Amino acid sequence: MSAPINNTTSILTQTVAKLLLLPTFVAAFAILVKGYAQPGDGFSAGVVASLGVLLQYLVLGRREAERLVTVRNAPTIAGAGLLLSLSVAVVPLFLGDPVLTHYPRPGEDVVYLGTLELITPVLFDLGIFFLVFGFAVGAIGAFARTISEQEEYAGPGTEQLEDDT
Amino acid sequence: MTTLVILPAGIAWLLAAVIAPLDGRRPLWGWLAATGLGASLLAVVLLLVRVLREGPVEVVAGGWPEGVGITLRADVLGASFAAVSLAVVLVAFVHEVLLGVRSRTFPALVLFLAAGLSGLFLTGDIFNFYVFFEISMTASYILTGYREENSQVRAAFIFAVVNLVGSVMFLSGIAGLYHLTGSLDMEVVAGRIGQVELSSIIPIATVIFVAFSLKIGLFPFHFWLPAVYVGSHAPVAAILSGAVANIGSYGLLRFGADVLPDALSFGAPVVLVLGVVSIVYGAMQAVSRHDTSEVMAYSTIGQVGYILVALAVGGPVGYAAAVVYSIVNSLNKALVFLAAQLRGPLAGAAFAVGAFSIAGVPPAVGFVGKIALFKTSIEAGGLLETTALVVLIFAGSALSFVYAFQVYQRAFLAREYRNNKRPSPRATRVLAISLAAFVLAVGLWPEPLLVLGTESAALLLEGLR
Repeated sequence: MSAPINNTTSILTQTVAKLLLLPTFVAAFAILVKGYAQPGDGFSAGVVASLGVLLQYLVLGRREAERLVTVRNAPTIAGAGLLLSLSVAVVPLFLGDPVLTHYPRPGEDVVYLGTLELITPVLFDLGIFFLVFGFAVGAIGAFARTISEQEEYAGPGTEQLEDDT
Repeated sequence: MTTLVILPAGIAWLLAAVIAPLDGRRPLWGWLAATGLGASLLAVVLLLVRVLREGPVEVVAGGWPEGVGITLRADVLGASFAAVSLAVVLVAFVHEVLLGVRSRTFPALVLFLAAGLSGLFLTGDIFNFYVFFEISMTASYILTGYREENSQVRAAFIFAVVNLVGSVMFLSGIAGLYHLTGSLDMEVVAGRIGQVELSSIIPIATVIFVAFSLKIGLFPFHFWLPAVYVGSHAPVAAILSGAVANIGSYGLLRFGADVLPDALSFGAPVVLVLGVVSIVYGAMQAVSRHDTSEVMAYSTIGQVGYILVALAVGGPVGYAAAVVYSIVNSLNKALVFLAAQLRGPLAGAAFAVGAFSIAGVPPAVGFVGKIALFKTSIEAGGLLETTALVVLIFAGSALSFVYAFQVYQRAFLAREYRNNKRPSPRATRVLAISLAAFVLAVGLWPEPLLVLGTESAALLLEGLR
């Protein structure tokens, strides 16, 4: 049977899930930025951000979640992130420095954005963030597709409902 | 020219990231990937020559002072393993490109695998080793499922599950080492571990030993290996047994002989017994099997035993034999897995060279490996031990001769083979024959190979000081 989509989670849950997506990204970005002084880095930021997307899948179901731009382009994001990080690692080689050298070098003048020092490792971490986020979202999507190949997945609880009727 | 240390992994990695979104089934991208692999291999060979002449090359990433930044270090041991592994990956990959790649991700995955392999052989940092190790393992999980037939997906599943368990064990071993020594740099750990009580090292060393034994398929940890090698597509099986398995033997040498020498000498009797059991078990099983890949899978379990025996005996002769035998074994296995599926003129000859090299028949390179092992067993000390080892290695070789001959007979002389003569593409046969010729050539002029062995052994023993 083709179950009407999204009739299983309450409107409250759905609204909260939608509202939470943006704050999750903001929190992820905060983790990325504060990694330069406290625990946190691109990797954990990517994981946190993808948790936000996972929430959309769980609450709204696959169709709604795949309308998000970030979800549709997950593989591209992952690839771009990997290339960005690798370039940051490799470019110093062409300038005659060891791999992964960061600019400006220690002790030199740095542009500040608030407390964040704008140095090339920020780009590297941003690349890691995109890589992890893109990979995790892609993997979540792959799982969701596998489930919906068997039956259109309409959010949690539908299996239960179908059994009752 | 310290850039040379980064090039092998760097070229493969960047190219992998570029090729990943492209359709790898098109020959153009396949050949581009092959060129990249060739460039990586060239860089490793140049690095190897340099390292042989001038000693280890070190780079600290980011230009940080030593001990702060992550060290990339190339020495004879790592560079030899990197060169052999990349060569095997290149040959197997070109073989598959000639046959026609069937999945868009295949070239990118092989490049990721190559990047991981060259990275882990050329690093001086234990955690870095683990990261590259995971890159290559993850790529090989997916590669095992390549062609997506049921048996291959099943093989990939078994391979992934078992090796993930191994990875977790290795990671906890690393955590233990860090806890004991407060460092992840191999040299620093090796230096500080001497002051630690042996009783606290042994559990960690055991965990690391089991993790690597699982990777190479040593006897009690071999259970996954036949299913995976039989299931996977021939070039993938060649990569798994000729390149990925090197991680295990390199890991045992590096962590056993270089980083944890006291633990290795303490555990030598156990290592020796496991090696012996592995030789006997692998050879017996191989003789009793019918299918070519199955025989070769069990043969791999036996061959690993020889490396373990050499490692247990240790000393300059033992370590040299372990290195030489690992290299010889990867060449043999790559050749055998690639040639076994080929049909047509000279395909049988290429396979025969591989099979008899495994048995240690001169002039193939396997003979050099066996000689090194005989020397090792003479070094082993006591008359009883020496005699037992010589007899064992002789018996093992005799058994491998039996199964090599059986397999050759079944695969290339049987009536069904003669009746079913649809020759494989000529280019793939030429490739297999070139590899066979290389195996013969190294067997006829073993000097460079032996130098790699003795230099690596000298390096490992230097670490003891």
